[in-house]
Amino acid sequence: MNNENEFTGADILLKALKDQEVDTIFGYPGGAVLPIYDAIFGQNFLKHVLVRQEAGAVHAAEGYARSSGKVGVLLVTSGPGVTNVVTGLTDALMDSIPIVCISGQVPSHLIGTDAFQECDTTGITRPCTKHNYLVKDVTKLSETIHEAFKIANSGRPGPVLIDIPKDVQFAKAKYIPKKDISFREHRIKAGSKSVDKNFVEELVNHIKKSDRPIFYVGGGCLNSGHQASQELIKLVNKTNIPITTTLHGLGCFPGEDKSSLGMLGMHGNYEANLAMNKCDLMINVGARFDDRVTGRLDAFSPDSIKFHIDIDQSSINKNVKVNFHTNTDITLTLKEINSFIESNNIDFSDKDYSHWWGQINEWRKKDCLHYEQGDEVIKPQHAISRLYELTKQKDTFVTTEVGQHQMWAAQYYKFSKPNRWITSGGLGTMGFGMPAAVGAQMANPDSLVIDIAGEASFLMNIQEIATAVQYKLPIKIFILNNEYMGMVRQWQELLHGSRYSESYVDALPDFKKLAESFNAVGVRAKNISELDDTINEMISIDRPVIADIWVDKKENCFPMIPSGAAHHEMLLSKYDKENPENQEKGKVLV
Amino acid sequence: MSSTSVYPTPINAFKQSKRSVLSVIVDNEPGILARIVGLFSGRGYNIEALNVTVVDVKKNLSRITIETLGEERVISQIIAQLEKLVPVHSATNLANLSESYEAEICLVKIEFENEEQDQKILNFADIYRSRTVQKRENIVVYEISGTSERINKFLDDLDTIGGIKVELVRSGPIGLGI
Ligand SMILES: Cc1ncc(C[n+]2csc(CCOP(=O)(O)OP(=O)(O)O)c2C)c(N)n1
Ligand SMILES: [Mg+2]
Repeated sequence: MNNENEFTGADILLKALKDQEVDTIFGYPGGAVLPIYDAIFGQNFLKHVLVRQEAGAVHAAEGYARSSGKVGVLLVTSGPGVTNVVTGLTDALMDSIPIVCISGQVPSHLIGTDAFQECDTTGITRPCTKHNYLVKDVTKLSETIHEAFKIANSGRPGPVLIDIPKDVQFAKAKYIPKKDISFREHRIKAGSKSVDKNFVEELVNHIKKSDRPIFYVGGGCLNSGHQASQELIKLVNKTNIPITTTLHGLGCFPGEDKSSLGMLGMHGNYEANLAMNKCDLMINVGARFDDRVTGRLDAFSPDSIKFHIDIDQSSINKNVKVNFHTNTDITLTLKEINSFIESNNIDFSDKDYSHWWGQINEWRKKDCLHYEQGDEVIKPQHAISRLYELTKQKDTFVTTEVGQHQMWAAQYYKFSKPNRWITSGGLGTMGFGMPAAVGAQMANPDSLVIDIAGEASFLMNIQEIATAVQYKLPIKIFILNNEYMGMVRQWQELLHGSRYSESYVDALPDFKKLAESFNAVGVRAKNISELDDTINEMISIDRPVIADIWVDKKENCFPMIPSGAAHHEMLLSKYDKENPENQEKGKVLV
Repeated sequence: MSSTSVYPTPINAFKQSKRSVLSVIVDNEPGILARIVGLFSGRGYNIEALNVTVVDVKKNLSRITIETLGEERVISQIIAQLEKLVPVHSATNLANLSESYEAEICLVKIEFENEEQDQKILNFADIYRSRTVQKRENIVVYEISGTSERINKFLDDLDTIGGIKVELVRSGPIGLGI
């Protein structure tokens, strides 16, 4: 029977993607997804980006999602195709990034027989996805895909995987459009839709009462959308309360604003960490009290009343007990706080927290990010500062790899808008940045996209340069080349008696020639006199560029709260004049 | 890194592990049990007992009852994590309800050697009002139900009779809010 209203599983998938307004998919073909690739061949609404390894597809989808606010989508084959994305799925789960991964599976009748390229995909990915499905019946496919998108993007976002056996891709059924699907509420977990008025009132009262308040803002603010950041700015301006952000919160509030204390945590600013330690009122907006932020828990902000806004119920009271919390969306809650203040004519002008700001400005004098640039070797901090100065006029998207360069990027590159900063925080995945830049450039074709990289991390997904070249994506890979796994070397220096076990990155390729061999462009700065020209050249070239920046090999990233230490037990850099022996003492302590 | 640190590893001297019975209503779909068990093992929680059965065929719902140990904060975290699972409708700590009823069923097979043992067994079985399921020459099978504590006591009492062989199966506690 040939029913006109029936479509193959592969066609249903494409119809559903179109219905979900997906126009870009990152993928890599293989036997178990050939019917889907066949469907992709004959259409033109969906742009398929062929990566060079599936890990590239998942990080590209993450970069795409983070930089656009849309769901990132990828397509991989069974067995090795899907096991290659396990890291990226875990990364997206940790950092709450909405992606949908479609994987092929061996035909239903072969499942369980150790067939060629069979693996227990739903079993392997269950703990690293927000949800996953094995679709055994083609009539359930439409609904499953629409539910997957809804789940990926609701409440606290995350990765969702749909495993589709090959026979289901061939089998036929009716397509059910998105508008005809009624989602079952309990499965979507969208969080409460109504604002907790009591929470809002308590918060405003506490703000009025407090002497040393602080906003502690995380990636949840980003996920709530641009309006969350607008409402936050409004609230901060109104109340004159200092604000610090987590690694992922960077950009939710303008980094150069006078109220911003910058990033907090392990490599956070002195003033931010001390203010967290000494505050009497903490307002947590979408942050999750991560151990890299809190340091030693029993010494974390001992004297504060804590308010927590988070859509994820399980983030409340998980690591740190709070006094007040709400599980409602951040935008809705901040909006309500602002309108409560307005409608009640609450005035904060008598409450300028001048004493508190005086204290903070004392801490600021420490100038914890100070470094000294000599006239020969490039300091990595300086390379980032110059990169910032020379690109800040453009709407620049920055991705990173993982290591010292990532922390320096967070410290010295200032973000004024959300979604411009794309980094792997929770999982700390080396090899994230370059494919993420590919994804960000796909989503923002006219913007400048830079991957701030370490030479070791870059080598982990270097194959994706070919993807950038094939699709003419003019991403810039800005390598702070210190010939070391710098962050590992730093810990070995500070905590393991300078025994640099296996942290030297030997036998490095010539990155310039490497770029050329990929048909990309390579540029290089060996010393300070070449830095600005190299950066400018890099920006001016409308092709993928690898910039090999030779930096000081022994530079360390400070301030640093060693893991297990408290906020006020920070190690400061050797440039800290006031307290020269601080260093030596610190080393013994850790 | 912690081995070289002089910072003390926090010892939670005041941790109060409490037994809790959690009742979880879920969509009866493939993988749901693996999700729940995986959540417990992945996050280092204990499962002391586990019971799963379909309770509503039409709506395709199962009720999962989990007995676990943990301090109160851990239990709340477990509940929050369970409620994040897509197929989970609700997760309830029975202890937090104003009233709830708990029961367990246990089948015990006892092999004895002499009349004296038989008498003692019979005596305990009578006290605990367990139901005789089978009785052959030197083997008796009882069914006993009630709270887990009651069953524990019965088994402890049986233990005082020397020289008998006991084989048993327990359903784990199940419970309902009332
Ligand atoms: C996949 C993966 N493996 C190992 C690590 C541990 N690790 C963290 S930073 C780092 C070194 C990174 O070196 P590089 O990319 O050169 O950056 P640098 O610290 O030198 O700036 C390593 C090995 C990691 N984060 N990710
Ligand atoms: Mg390096």
